[in-house]
Amino acid sequence: MATRVVITGLGVVSPIGIGTGEFWKAALEGRSGISALRPFDGLPLDAYRSRVVGQVLAFNPAQYLDPTQAERVDRYAQFALVASKEAVADAGLRIDREAPHRIGVIVGAGMGGMVMGEREITQLYRSQRPNRVHPNFIPTITLNSASGIVAMMHGAKGPNLTISTACSSSAHAVGQALTAIRAGQADVVLTVGADASITPLVFAGFCSLRALSTGFNDQPERASRPFDRARDGFVMGEGAGALILESLAHAKKRRARIYAEVAGYAATSEAHHMVIPKEDGVEVATTMALALKDAGMTPRQVDYINAHATSTQIGDAVEAKAIRQLFKDRADRLAINATKSLIGHTLGAAGALGAIACALSLQTGQIHPTLNYDDPDPDCALKGISAQAQERRAKVALLNAFGFGSNNAAVVLKAFT
Amino acid sequence: MTNAEIADQIVTALGEYLKRDRSTIAPGQALRDDLGLDSMATIELLFRIEEVFDLQIPDQDLQHLRTVANVIDYVQARLNPTAASTPSKAAAPGPAKPAPSTSAPTRRATPSKPAPTRAVSRKKPA
Repeated sequence: MATRVVITGLGVVSPIGIGTGEFWKAALEGRSGISALRPFDGLPLDAYRSRVVGQVLAFNPAQYLDPTQAERVDRYAQFALVASKEAVADAGLRIDREAPHRIGVIVGAGMGGMVMGEREITQLYRSQRPNRVHPNFIPTITLNSASGIVAMMHGAKGPNLTISTACSSSAHAVGQALTAIRAGQADVVLTVGADASITPLVFAGFCSLRALSTGFNDQPERASRPFDRARDGFVMGEGAGALILESLAHAKKRRARIYAEVAGYAATSEAHHMVIPKEDGVEVATTMALALKDAGMTPRQVDYINAHATSTQIGDAVEAKAIRQLFKDRADRLAINATKSLIGHTLGAAGALGAIACALSLQTGQIHPTLNYDDPDPDCALKGISAQAQERRAKVALLNAFGFGSNNAAVVLKAFT
Repeated sequence: MTNAEIADQIVTALGEYLKRDRSTIAPGQALRDDLGLDSMATIELLFRIEEVFDLQIPDQDLQHLRTVANVIDYVQARLNPTAASTPSKAAAPGPAKPAPSTSAPTRRATPSKPAPTRAVSRKKPA
């Protein structure tokens, strides 16, 4: 039997709260983290088609990190550090008392150090002075800068990896952490998802891709509305989520509190299109089925789905179709929600934050609401989606995450008994 | 800019970079052993100093900049090569002007090879 893997610590930096407690309280209350886009330095705001974002407005790195350390990494890596610090403390994990090479770090990041990336590129062309490119530019934008700095902060010397599969990055990070522990490569993996790229260029790029909501610029809190008929694109967010994944044996040995078990994982490619999911939903259904098979479960055992549901017309409809295909008559008995309705699409952090929502739901029996689900779209209507928080003693949760580049991830989480 | 002003600005830049009171920074301190700057941090500091003085420090000069005094001497020699007030063999005069060291000949004409021990023993600035 495969090594069982459990979640023993959580950490959150999100538009609705820094810290898992604050995040979860706000989530259950259905508080929106979506606000109006603030002007980028010197650029006309109205030239951005979408002007709503899920920003971590209250974030002050000095409150959590040594200032020198904070200054030398990009915002997304600061988020990763803060979330991982909380998760390690929450898990009661004393890495200095562990065999350091048995503690891994796997970070999912879609965009990476774009704050500095954009600043330096802009300055280079404005100033025409290549010799003024900052010496820390390369170490900052290298996509594994967060996994590196997280390991340094904690002294974690095991496998150190970065997964970059756009919007599914940190769902894969969770899955790969499970895989690494099952394979005996580590006892514990600090698993993090982080992104912070509400930056002039990246944001403009998503606008140009026509991926973002534009119809609710005057009502930011209504803009992220997965499965609702009026949804018109995703709202870009930022943040980080961290989970301590650990072999059950290791967790038991140190008498750790256990939130939930990570029971299965599947990674697939649709091999279809860079940004558009295959409309028949078969690939998404297959991914969920493979994750359940990996967990040794059937669709009938699932109680709750934390949907990828970004609030795009096609994406939500395909996911709903896939859920119906796989779960058949059980589809309407599932509790389903979309964390992105609260915080927007945090890209590389989305999977980790979704996994945290799953773990907390399994532990507490509370399913957070899907905001703005006012007018169910018949194309994705599933009875278990609710604009209100739900009470559900869920035993098995499924997390979906799909990324540009035609890639899909599904993770199965189980209440720990 | 006088040599005293140069020294003052370097200490200010160092204090800002290290986030510590400038009064705790002394010329005799070694960048690595006393101030805790690793090679990457030293490069960042010099990046800042290049900006402050509109100067380019060629790669081959970096190895000689090991103490606060080395940096002060070096910048003084580059900016005030003819100033007689602080003649110091520790920092041999650079080119006649703070000429950009972008071309190879110019770079070779910046033969600053301060002997670290001498520079450390200097009591400047002030």
